[in-house]
Amino acid sequence: MSDAYIVGAGMIPFGRYPDRTYFQLAADATLMALDDCGLSIKDVGVVYASSTFNAASMLGQKMLQQIGQTGVPVINVSNACASGATAVREAFVAIKSGLYDVVLAVGAEKNPRGMLAGSPVDGPPPEGLFGSVSMPALFAEAGMVHANAYGTTIEQFAQVAVKNHHHATMNPKAAYRKETPLEEVLASEMIAYPLTKLMCSANVDGAAALILVSEKKARELGLSRAVRLLGSALASDPFEPRNPDMLDPNSVTRLAVAQAYEMAGMGPEDMDLVELHDCFAVAEILHYENLGLCADGEGGAFIDSGATALGGRIPVNVSGGLLSKGHPIGATGVANMVEIIDQLRGEAGARQVDGAKIGMTHVLGFGTGSAAGVHIFEKA
Amino acid sequence: MTSTTNIARKAGNKSVRVGEDGSVWIEGYRCGACGAVMPVQTIACRSCAGRVAPEAYRSPETGTLYTWSVVHRSYPGVAVPFVSAIVDLDGGLSFKGTLKGVPFEALQAGMPVRLVFDDAGGAVDGDGHPYVGFHFVAGDAS
Repeated sequence: MSDAYIVGAGMIPFGRYPDRTYFQLAADATLMALDDCGLSIKDVGVVYASSTFNAASMLGQKMLQQIGQTGVPVINVSNACASGATAVREAFVAIKSGLYDVVLAVGAEKNPRGMLAGSPVDGPPPEGLFGSVSMPALFAEAGMVHANAYGTTIEQFAQVAVKNHHHATMNPKAAYRKETPLEEVLASEMIAYPLTKLMCSANVDGAAALILVSEKKARELGLSRAVRLLGSALASDPFEPRNPDMLDPNSVTRLAVAQAYEMAGMGPEDMDLVELHDCFAVAEILHYENLGLCADGEGGAFIDSGATALGGRIPVNVSGGLLSKGHPIGATGVANMVEIIDQLRGEAGARQVDGAKIGMTHVLGFGTGSAAGVHIFEKA
Repeated sequence: MTSTTNIARKAGNKSVRVGEDGSVWIEGYRCGACGAVMPVQTIACRSCAGRVAPEAYRSPETGTLYTWSVVHRSYPGVAVPFVSAIVDLDGGLSFKGTLKGVPFEALQAGMPVRLVFDDAGGAVDGDGHPYVGFHFVAGDAS
């Protein structure tokens, strides 16, 4: 089986695009990724297009109508916040199958405004009657499990926001590029304890794209800026007694990361940096443990140690993460890979992780069920 | 066609059941093969995939608080703050619900709680049938 390589990566600056459609944003990112490797849309054999909210409207075809209707197969993907990683995973499978030499994975989203909720239900509107259906409340409850079990403090959760907002000041494509000291994070509006507004992800528009190629094609193009995709895993929520009344961020992530590590023949100690799904500040602490970056129960101490800040032992979310780079849902899973690729190529500017050779991405999707995607990349 | 001379109450949540005599209870489903409990009727077992459909049982209304969040920002028209709680009921079901009457600073993982049926905030369906809902309060059995 051919190895899969990423040769082209593109991401538009994240923010609000009131005058552009989601498929124009997808086209922008796709052209950036194609230009990054000197290929044309005519070279692409199959397209995987991700949008959590617009996959059903044939995002991929609409995008090709903007930049060239080559007639190739398009698979439109929606898988909650794991949509982008799902598209890349399918692109990886397409390369591995040997059927295609050049594959496009693109994610684009124009997020609805306001606080996002889980899926609608029958009966009276449940908010307030049966607890809260808001995403902040859902992750707050998961954070409180950690706080109750291990004594993790609101200050430790808030430090995740301080760190990722700091990282974003070095990323010109991040939606928010402003330092937020601990006092400011804690003093911002309380949304769902322990989450304040500055501990919730930036609800913005965005798009990102990757060009994956076979080993043969990668050698033809030259490997100098290529990145090898060593491990690609996607998991769905295994049975847990409380799920789905309480969606579980942990078990599905652990299932995916175990498969990705096995496929790559590596472990957490091999990672030079990680982009993980910090949709809310508490989630980053949980995922330190889920991804094996620290032992169970030590997530709070791990953020305090500085290990996950730029310059630390294992920098996490140096892009600014979902908290400040932004979380355009269907694009997120592709965008965090663009960051890893920039880093492995040594092209990440002020936020460059010195000597980065291997990096990992993680996303987690919640809807009526859960999905998690984990990918591991190595400099070719 | 059905006559709607009375105003029969209607379940306001997937696990609430309303009997013909107007009684209300919480229903769960348990797999006869592996013992896993689930909140809705499934075709096979979610846990072991056993092909015998899990069997309905009437759930106790007592349990313990697993986790919670005090919600300060909600959607328009919803009164805040309130406690969004995940409760493990005795017998194996777990639910999200609103926990009332406990000061926020007194909330503790594992504290005993009890499910209380209510009128779902006065909500009615399109035909005027009132919904039956529930919330949680502190307290032991009885």
